[in-house]
Amino acid sequence: MGSAARQRSRERLREQREKDRRKAARMRTLGVIGAALGVVILIVGIGYAVLNSDRSGSEFDGALAPQTVQEDGSVVMAQPGAEAPVVEVYADYQCPACRQFELLNGDVLKETAAAGEAIVHFRPVSIFAQQAVPISSNSLRGGAAARAAADHGVFVEYNDLLFENQPAEGQAGFTVDELKEWFRQTSASEEDAAAFDERIDAEAAVVTQFTEDYLPALTEDALDQLGQENLSTMVLTDLMAWGADNGHDPSFLDGTYTGEIIDATGNAYTRYSGDNAFRATPSVYINGELLDNSTTMTVRGLQGAIDEAGPGEVQTEPLTDGGGEE
Amino acid sequence: MDTADATTAPPARDRTPRWRAVQPWLTLACRVGLAAVLITAAVSKYPPALSVQAVEAYDLFPADLARLIGYTLPLFELALAVLLLVGLATRYTAAVTTLLMVAFIVGIVSAMARGLSIDCGCFGGGGQVDPEETTYGLSIARDIGFAALGAFIAIWPRSPFALDRPLGLFR
Repeated sequence: MGSAARQRSRERLREQREKDRRKAARMRTLGVIGAALGVVILIVGIGYAVLNSDRSGSEFDGALAPQTVQEDGSVVMAQPGAEAPVVEVYADYQCPACRQFELLNGDVLKETAAAGEAIVHFRPVSIFAQQAVPISSNSLRGGAAARAAADHGVFVEYNDLLFENQPAEGQAGFTVDELKEWFRQTSASEEDAAAFDERIDAEAAVVTQFTEDYLPALTEDALDQLGQENLSTMVLTDLMAWGADNGHDPSFLDGTYTGEIIDATGNAYTRYSGDNAFRATPSVYINGELLDNSTTMTVRGLQGAIDEAGPGEVQTEPLTDGGGEE
Repeated sequence: MDTADATTAPPARDRTPRWRAVQPWLTLACRVGLAAVLITAAVSKYPPALSVQAVEAYDLFPADLARLIGYTLPLFELALAVLLLVGLATRYTAAVTTLLMVAFIVGIVSAMARGLSIDCGCFGGGGQVDPEETTYGLSIARDIGFAALGAFIAIWPRSPFALDRPLGLFR
């Protein structure tokens, strides 16, 4: 055998060995990637199952506890004479986190109230009233509509409908027609619907006047005379009080549900102090103590906090002029 | 004797002895740093209901998909962090992390371009904020930094304290 032939066969052998080596390396890499993929699937899969188990609470479709409109326009849902913790829920109908709260824990509120284990105090607010249209106008129209629904004893149902149909932030929504249509999906009567429609038309006009005429003019003046720094520290109701003394008459809000929700928001800011201060929505308080995010925004957290708390007292008085409450 | 290795020789720069000594430790530092970032991001997104809201604020996905992302994204971040810490499939994990950061940057830029004023929700939070409170520039710069860490690891995956080594990768 010539040396050239031997050279060739050695060459082939080396090529083959090299090929095998590459193949082995490739298999090793694929194996490791497979293992890593397995780890990812395991962590995401188990984690997802654990997180979802929090939501596995059955949907509540029993009878709601009676609802009572309060003097300030808030609504208490509780069994008569219930001795239970007071769960105050501050929410803005345009606030996405409030929608998440409602989707997640709405049933916990209904269930515990129906069982006499909680006194649920819905306190709608409008923290977005000073934002740009349509965020501000959606927020105010939603709040006023919920209050109007409360007149006919269907606040909780309507509250659900508003959150289910919440417009994306910055997009037009909660239109007058929609608000009227959703009312017809509640258990309220046709007569109620006529009264509701009338109220919505009136409130929508007030909201438009507020967001498009009154507030821009007031803000511009305040900016000129008080400066950006002062203005940014003022809550809306303080700004409006200043405006009342400076040629911006807020009396068109008197007696309207739009005005009522603006007042309710202002009062929320002064009602609590220190760690309990009202800063954002959704805020949930049990017997006056603010819950943290992971308690508020998990089923287990909220349910546990209600179970642990002692009985409390509702801090508002029921509306006495027979505002249609049933 | 066998010189077949010459075909897979690292680029010239890798061959300076100093770089060969320092690079594995740099990669290890990147692994730990990036894992810490991912864990912080994942944990601060709890509870998932708020994370869902942060995803919805981008207004890019239908509600069901936004919910799925809100629940699984933090878990995915956590899984990547675990892989980086133990050093399993280091190069590929880092590459995926880098791609994730690029996806985040695309999301933020798209929110910016559409005139949304939202918090990026990168480390919890998220949702609507006042227009003057948006921090898109900062968020993007941060994500570019994290993407760079990931890219470094993907380019030079060799590092100590990695499961890859006993398994025969990036030795």
